[in-house]
Amino acid sequence: MPIAYVFNKLIRDEMVKLTKPVELSLFMGRNIEDNDNVRSILKIYEESSNELLSIKEVSNPVVSKNYEVNHFPAILFINDKVKEIIRYLAKPFGAEIRPFVETLTIFSGDKNYYEVVIKENIEKIKPSIIKVMITNSCVYCPEIITFVNKFAIASNGKIQSVIIDIMAHSDIAESYDVSSVPYTVINDKKSFIGMVGPEEVLQELIGGDKIV
Amino acid sequence: MFNIDMDSLDLEKTYDLIVLGGGPTAIACAIYAARFAMDVLIVGKVFGGLIATTDIVENYPGITSISGQGLMEMFKDHMNSLSIPYISDEIRSIENVEDYFVLHSFFQKFKAKSICIATGSERRKLGIPGENEFAGKGVSYCATCDGPFYKDKVVCVIGGSDSAAKEALFLAQNVEKVYIIYRKEEIRAEPINKKRVYENEKIEIINNTNVVEIVGKTTVNHVIFDNGKELEVDGVFIEIGSIPNSEIAQRIGTKINEKGEIIINRKSETNMPGIFAAGDVADAPFKQAITGVAEGVIAAYSAFDYLKNVKIEY
Repeated sequence: MPIAYVFNKLIRDEMVKLTKPVELSLFMGRNIEDNDNVRSILKIYEESSNELLSIKEVSNPVVSKNYEVNHFPAILFINDKVKEIIRYLAKPFGAEIRPFVETLTIFSGDKNYYEVVIKENIEKIKPSIIKVMITNSCVYCPEIITFVNKFAIASNGKIQSVIIDIMAHSDIAESYDVSSVPYTVINDKKSFIGMVGPEEVLQELIGGDKIV
Repeated sequence: MFNIDMDSLDLEKTYDLIVLGGGPTAIACAIYAARFAMDVLIVGKVFGGLIATTDIVENYPGITSISGQGLMEMFKDHMNSLSIPYISDEIRSIENVEDYFVLHSFFQKFKAKSICIATGSERRKLGIPGENEFAGKGVSYCATCDGPFYKDKVVCVIGGSDSAAKEALFLAQNVEKVYIIYRKEEIRAEPINKKRVYENEKIEIINNTNVVEIVGKTTVNHVIFDNGKELEVDGVFIEIGSIPNSEIAQRIGTKINEKGEIIINRKSETNMPGIFAAGDVADAPFKQAITGVAEGVIAAYSAFDYLKNVKIEY
């Protein structure tokens, strides 16, 4: 069975879980092939969503500049206050399908396992950006993506997550000297190589304080 | 990884069985428990366990060949079909309250009448100079995760197990050269994989040799052997076995052996009533997905037997 068929079916099966409307923004760059590639994948999600998912394409450089998007294509989860919550510099395909759909459902308003703890600690959390660097063959990466995205949603963007496929964005990999994934960086200071749990990341986010 | 069915999660409920772990053993245990009409919840740190890092699985009956990830996708589908909730979390402590247990994670607490510990194992470290220093900068414990970084480069795999052989075979698909460095006379991979290794022109075995240091500047550039010789490599993949994740079991007083494995009997029972264990974390001599699955199933049945008041509705 062709692998693309398997993944397309997985998207269709998973998207049944989406029950509330949600919009994503696809920021497109100059590379037409890359744009078309991500667009065609998002199209599968959109067509499987029973009209609940809509994709807004953004090619206006001014808007890109406003959101400081300089790697393309980029998928942004932007909330109703036009604040960026999550950025994908990675194709939501293969092993990334399930965490992407789970992120979509929670972004649309479904239950978030970490919401209570994040909200209880929100005063202690400084505005933060968590970058998760992945490859599409990494089995641990979806674990980290899932909870980091949930942290971002629960914090309403006070924590932002950025998911980066470093095989597609080798310049980013080089700038962080990464040759192992998952590689998680908080505020460009603290980095975790390999699997890291939600507890350790939250501890770092609150600066080592006691978690409420 | 995924809260597979958050709607079926009830934090107020006292579950009949909570299974700790995210690999085949834990899932098999939960599937059987669900079929015994037990309220079951899985709490796991990493969905899929170590087998998910395996490139190709060829010894699971009924499936000729599948990736480790692919096999776990099938397990996941099976869990979904039974609406078994899975929570990505780690249990830190367990207390026995009257006739049930309270399990505390960092984020939540759960209640259960019985527990199956199927927390598996994690890769063993070598403990030599340079290993920690170059972790993520040339030193890796997961070929499927990090293999793509070494396209057309030279790497070594340290270890002589079947897993080491499979890592070398996976890496050989993209790298220029793979050295297997093993401390004994002959690698102890399954004959089928040993044959593949010997036939692969990109793989060279260095026997009777220990790596004593990993050296580099910003990234790894060579390793030093115990005979003083050096070997230039860009990456070092360490595959020297695993250690059981039995910390929680030790904390609550479950008996373990000298290897840190939980001691179980043929019913997957531990020394503590209501606490069962199965898979790589337990003391069975042969660690395979299929044997872990079997132990997980036995644990589910034993837990069912333990909770005699559970009613099965047909």
